[in-house]
Amino acid sequence: MKVVITGVGAMSSIGNDGNEIFENLSENRSNVQFYPAWTDANGLKSHLGAPVKDYDNKVIPRNVRRSMSRMSEMAFLATVDALKMANIEIEKDHSYDRTLICMGSTTGSPETLMKYYRKYIENNGPQGQLSTSFFKVMNHSVPANVALGLGFSGPMISPSSACSTSSQTIALAYELIRAGVYDVAITGGADELDVTSAAIFDVALAASTSFNNSPEKAPRPFDKDRDGLVVSEGAGIVVLESEEHAKKRGVGILGEICGAAYHCDGTHMSQPKVSSMAHTMKRALFIGDVSPEEINYVNAHATATTFGDIEESLAIESVFGSKTPTSSLKGHFGHSLAACGALEIISGLEMMSHETLIPTRNLDQPDPKCGSTNLIQKPIGSPLNFMISNNFAFGGMNTSIVLGKYK
Amino acid sequence: MNRESIVTAVNESLVDGFEIPPEKLTPNATLFEDLELDSLDAVDMMVYLEEKLSIKVDANEFKDVRSLEQVYDLVQKMSSNLEH
Repeated sequence: MKVVITGVGAMSSIGNDGNEIFENLSENRSNVQFYPAWTDANGLKSHLGAPVKDYDNKVIPRNVRRSMSRMSEMAFLATVDALKMANIEIEKDHSYDRTLICMGSTTGSPETLMKYYRKYIENNGPQGQLSTSFFKVMNHSVPANVALGLGFSGPMISPSSACSTSSQTIALAYELIRAGVYDVAITGGADELDVTSAAIFDVALAASTSFNNSPEKAPRPFDKDRDGLVVSEGAGIVVLESEEHAKKRGVGILGEICGAAYHCDGTHMSQPKVSSMAHTMKRALFIGDVSPEEINYVNAHATATTFGDIEESLAIESVFGSKTPTSSLKGHFGHSLAACGALEIISGLEMMSHETLIPTRNLDQPDPKCGSTNLIQKPIGSPLNFMISNNFAFGGMNTSIVLGKYK
Repeated sequence: MNRESIVTAVNESLVDGFEIPPEKLTPNATLFEDLELDSLDAVDMMVYLEEKLSIKVDANEFKDVRSLEQVYDLVQKMSSNLEH
């Protein structure tokens, strides 16, 4: 059974729909900014972030919005767009059995968590807490709020694996649709930009610290002068559907999920392992019955960390050799954490329809330590029948998704 | 605190915190039906009022409040308790 994509929705630092994202990718733009207030955070050396541009949250009714943090707002707005594209109207007071919501975030809202505990400590107890705070910080806040906003009554699950969250939701939903459990799955992830997100990576020596005075030069995946990632935010939503169901509805098909794998390597919390990454890619290819030679493009996770980029590049080289064009989009988007996997699938669909491979932004001089992987530095006009998209997360979590042009 | 300043403060809380149009804020307006609030909003409304007016609202008494007029009455009672 084929699993196809029938709708996408996006909120990102470089655009809030596929067209806008592709235009900014093509024009080599980013929205990385210096945050002066972050310089007040004791011990924080990374002062860069890539925000989603202003949006109007008042289009969401207050009684729904009151329990939404920024990440849930973005996820909800992106979901509305994705469902519109997929020509799916959620009927209130209808109990869905074969439509799944499968979404997640790294944690609940970090901004609300900080406010909650600051006040709790100040007041030495819960005095003065808003009743809606918990609904912004619980781990399934994003899908719960999306479901509430839609009036969706049906199966819902909230996988969470930090930077591989949304790719894991896609992989899980792919398996469930293939197994015949569901006809439709609304998948994806969201995270909001917060100084504490930068702090997490800063403490682990994984955030960019040398380009605070020249934000446009960071991050620099695979570049010899890279010095770490830049945190971002956003929401990426992908509607998956069985081919049979999509055809019956007569809806347009944007692409196909051909294979997916999610393996943890169980050896280290933060240091990725070449063999585990390679195995995950091979497993996704095997499940999709796609050979490495058929892959026209590798969309790398590469966030611009010193160690991670090398390990991923060597893993890609071990699977695909030195010819397959490879790039990371983190130089454009920044690292949108739980949203990045879905945003990269959406970008991949755009590359497929435009037959253009987008190079890594800020990759001026590829690091020789990254091996002989074909790290593209210029746009390449090329038919794109199959691509593989990687996402690797703290916790040793590796995901790979094979995306195919629908035929 | 006089009645007028209580009415102003409560109404400001409802406009700012709950986006209720000012024209709906009549004394007879019921919280749950006319103003479309619910039990979660009621809890948050207590928090807003406590912070804005530096009073302590008794949650058990607030549970019985149905109309805006009753909110004004309760806040007046709480603020006069403080003054004594």
